[in-house]
Amino acid sequence: MKPELRVLAASGQLGYGIPEAAFAAGIARAPHVIGADMGSIDPGPAYLGSGRMATSPEMTRRDLGLVLSAARGLGVPLLIGSAGTAGARPHLDATLEIVREIAREKGLRFRLASIAADIPKALARDARPLGAMRSMDLERTTHLVGQMGTEAFIRALDAGADVVIAGRACDTAIFAAIPLMRGYAPGLAMHMAKIIECTSLCCEPGGRDAILATLSEDSFELESMNPARAATPLSVAAHALYEQEDPYTVQEPEGTLDLRGAQYKATDARRTRVRGALWQPRARPTVKIEGAGPFGERSVLFCSSADPRVIANLSSILLDVEATTRQLVPGSDFSLYPRVYGEGEAFLLVECIAPTAARGLAVLGVFRQYLLHHGFPGRLSTGGNLAFPFTPPELPAGTAYRFTVYHVMDVEALAPLFPVSIEDIA
Amino acid sequence: MTRLADLARVVRSKNAGPTLLTIDVLFAETAHLDRALAVLSSSRISSLYGIEADKIRVIPYRSATAIKIVMPRKVIAGDPGDRDVYGAQQHAPLLGIEV
Repeated sequence: MKPELRVLAASGQLGYGIPEAAFAAGIARAPHVIGADMGSIDPGPAYLGSGRMATSPEMTRRDLGLVLSAARGLGVPLLIGSAGTAGARPHLDATLEIVREIAREKGLRFRLASIAADIPKALARDARPLGAMRSMDLERTTHLVGQMGTEAFIRALDAGADVVIAGRACDTAIFAAIPLMRGYAPGLAMHMAKIIECTSLCCEPGGRDAILATLSEDSFELESMNPARAATPLSVAAHALYEQEDPYTVQEPEGTLDLRGAQYKATDARRTRVRGALWQPRARPTVKIEGAGPFGERSVLFCSSADPRVIANLSSILLDVEATTRQLVPGSDFSLYPRVYGEGEAFLLVECIAPTAARGLAVLGVFRQYLLHHGFPGRLSTGGNLAFPFTPPELPAGTAYRFTVYHVMDVEALAPLFPVSIEDIA
Repeated sequence: MTRLADLARVVRSKNAGPTLLTIDVLFAETAHLDRALAVLSSSRISSLYGIEADKIRVIPYRSATAIKIVMPRKVIAGDPGDRDVYGAQQHAPLLGIEV
């Protein structure tokens, strides 16, 4: 019989504030490894395209300090994936810098491994689009990353790493790497990882508190570290649906997780035991790749209308005002995206993408003024069609990014794509 | 008259990557799931969302007494004009369906 292995999932979104009480309760259970996910493609292309983090430096430092101190205190590995939101070079470097600063301040000593996830553009050309993704646009891609699997984490741990900070990574790889190294069944390890990567979101009621998974030879047990949250067979089974296109199979770089035989059984009111998932290794690994880049400057106009006649005619008014704006502002290098929200008083958010912020603001200034005074059949509101919450009501909103790559590629070997760097922090 | 919002325990939507939208409808009992399943055809969903029916998948998932609906996003997440980058507010058209 294999001894039990305790895996603590500290956070599914490191940098937004790890709830401290549940995390401390998890540490008190002496886990063999602590893992945290730090990123996702969900927040959109801006973070990958710009190289910026979604989380604030202050909260990122707080959360990294919490998990680093606890892991070093217990002397167990700490694994963090998708560093700095999008997991490209600038995100990884910024995260590593914070880790080094915390280590200096707290006098921590450890072997730090970082794993880069940036994919050379030349390797990406033959990748296949995922879903309804447009053709790839490598020229306009500022950052291109691949989702690494367990293989990369295992290589870093084999090199003696105490702390692994990985660029873009599959959520599962963070939590499954150590169970796989210690010989636990891959189907169980991957299924466990898939559930705990969102911490206590698989519980009733769901939340962001740390969760403990205890893995044994033929099953694993889940327990939220917040006593108010219960991992029930139903809540855990339902989590297989979350953000997945298929509740029965999960595609990973090194194989496919098959959940058709998964069984969920209550141990008690707050804990559920899971067994039965199978792992089908893939002959040739695949890597999901993600790219993003800028395509213009965004500016936005905020205004509203409380006039029922304006609201009733809004769709034609907006088309007329766009036509007027296009007659007055020469050139066709800008796009306008008016959005209307609500009834009673309708809120208008008009987005403009143009080559420069100044040009976008010029376009929106004209659009706003003509919308304010636009005449339409049946109009009563000749003083103005709009209310402005503040002036100027049009604001620059920074560079606009879009996804340029969301593809999958077949590879001969994973290791060369995700190089490990080791540094000893003393 | 019972609507899906009255029958379901959870109706949630989210992206599954930037090109796909996934909607999960969870029920308290199997009978409710079956009632909803009878109505939630891909052609019905197609008319509510303006997505071609053959691009919509309706997957019963009985171990969680749930139905998963998967369809392409009309706009790639984060593209100009997108109204919902995370896709977390795309469940609303289903709430009023009579079951």
